[in-house]
Amino acid sequence: MSKRLSQVSLSLVAGANGHDVSDLALAQGLATGEAWAIRVTWQRFAPMVLALAERSLGSRSDAEDLAQEVFLNVFRKANTLREPDKLRSFVYSFAIFGLKAELRRRKLRAWLSFLAPEALVNLAYRSTDVESRDLLRRFYALLDRLSQRDRLVFSLKELESMTIEEIAPVLGLSVSTVKRSLTHATARLSRWISADPGLAAALDTRRWQR
Amino acid sequence: MTRPDERNDSQALSRLTQLARDTVQQPTAAELDRGLSALLSARAASQTSRRRQVVRWSLAAVCAALCALLVVQGTAVWRGRARALPALAYRIEGGTVLAGGYLRDAGNGGIRLFFEEGTKVELLPGARGRLRPVDAEGTRVVLDQGSATFNVARSKERRWLVEAGPFSVAVKGTLFMVSWDPQHERFELRLQHGSVVVSGPIAGGDIELRAGQRLLVDLPKQETLISEEPGASATAPTGQPPPSSSAGNDSSALAPAPVASLQPSTLAPGTSSSSAAVSSASKPERKSSWADHLAHGRWDRILEEVEQRGVDATLESAPSEELFALADAARYRRRTDLARAALLAQRRRFPGSARSVDATFLLGRVEESRDRAQALGWYDEYLERAATGTYSAEAWGRKMVLTNELKGRASARPIAEEYLRRFPNGSYAGAARALTTDP
Repeated sequence: MSKRLSQVSLSLVAGANGHDVSDLALAQGLATGEAWAIRVTWQRFAPMVLALAERSLGSRSDAEDLAQEVFLNVFRKANTLREPDKLRSFVYSFAIFGLKAELRRRKLRAWLSFLAPEALVNLAYRSTDVESRDLLRRFYALLDRLSQRDRLVFSLKELESMTIEEIAPVLGLSVSTVKRSLTHATARLSRWISADPGLAAALDTRRWQR
Repeated sequence: MTRPDERNDSQALSRLTQLARDTVQQPTAAELDRGLSALLSARAASQTSRRRQVVRWSLAAVCAALCALLVVQGTAVWRGRARALPALAYRIEGGTVLAGGYLRDAGNGGIRLFFEEGTKVELLPGARGRLRPVDAEGTRVVLDQGSATFNVARSKERRWLVEAGPFSVAVKGTLFMVSWDPQHERFELRLQHGSVVVSGPIAGGDIELRAGQRLLVDLPKQETLISEEPGASATAPTGQPPPSSSAGNDSSALAPAPVASLQPSTLAPGTSSSSAAVSSASKPERKSSWADHLAHGRWDRILEEVEQRGVDATLESAPSEELFALADAARYRRRTDLARAALLAQRRRFPGSARSVDATFLLGRVEESRDRAQALGWYDEYLERAATGTYSAEAWGRKMVLTNELKGRASARPIAEEYLRRFPNGSYAGAARALTTDP
């Protein structure tokens, strides 16, 4: 019987019980280190964290690394969660924290001039055509030039479709600061795009479907 | 008032953000499986260390990092911030480079590119490709059609990226052949030396290939096959470029094989395979169980042992638990034929067991990549046998998705309603609600 249970924990498909569990029960399970809670938490929230990280960082492998780090921290700190029914927000806050740390690391790597950013060879694309990959490469290179705060605000607003009012508490900023940061980021990106003739030409020649 | 050029810039930015938004897809079930497996391993490892140790090491690391930072930055200043490497020079034989980097074949003998740091690229006759910017980032070659061989010299400074259709291959110091058939959407990579990472529309995410392996992806069939090259050199990557005489020799060594021969014989039960030649006397003694290997993510160990014991012999003699572990390992390594065979053996040899019921569901998962109608049949059978079983929510969800794809929205709607009744907060609830809402 014990072997059977072990097999269930290894079969990496969420079972019926996992889907029926509320966030509250899940948080309580995590706090006591239950194995099933770890599995269900991953299945429930990992898609959200992976998509957020991939869109913000432009790298699938970086997103996967970040998700690992985020969930290890979530499991470690689960017993400090004061409002267990807000597990989703708890996970999201760790994801934002991890994103900030990753962007800081990237800035540091860029500052150490001869350590070229690794993300250049590992951008987020699956079935996109070569021209689109070029555009994405250039786009994420431009995002890399923004400050950490401007980039996060821009990513959450434009890539995650969050409102300014939602972004402010997530980043611990005031609404006016978020607005200022977004305006600044948008203006700089627009300026850089117009100053890049190759990018402008690629955008002009690309056929947009929507 | 907004100036027209400002408006254009804003539109350009909107297009770029839309592209970035649309490119990212939700992770597949296989990717989530892989992530969870890695997470469990990492968690098990982290639990062994003590918090005090972490604090002590963190302080030491901070001190070391500060010292390293000073040294590194000092070196950077000393180097005069010489980040940009000079562009890589190359010469071309058998063709010319046109605007946009298009490589034009001068005759019918293919095109050969020789880069100054020792890398050789050969586009075989009939292949079409492009040489993308050669700069400090590294070099990118786009293969639009046909086959090409790459003998890439190992370099710490420069990166090589080969793109073929929707696939990209990150390279460092290696020898391989890559083919892309845009008409049939078939990608093939045969790796002789070193290692590469292939990314693209592959179930389970990026694939790292070792020397001697061959990857074949058939997009219309949604098949991903990794097989060992018989007789291929399994030389571990060294600090030097792989030994080779000329690009011509390399290409002949890696000439594309007929597609029919790409089917890995070791995958198919009941067929002759190299593993079958291994006598039972040479069977290695297993030091730990397959379940243990599986728990630690050592899927290749399980598959290696199966090949040593013989696929057929394993399927006929392995206990139920091992068959299940084998099926999981094969699924994670995308060896769907082997996974299917193990699950079918589970059902045939242990028909009354709980694992036999679970195997029915997993057969559906495996079959989805080949025959969705058959997958639907497996899910139906699973739900008949285990209406409240471990995988019932997943089976209802997959059944709903497949029915929608195969038979249309009207047929899928009752299943969606049933799903919502049973699992209102399930992971397919969003899709189910979308189906039950009038379009």
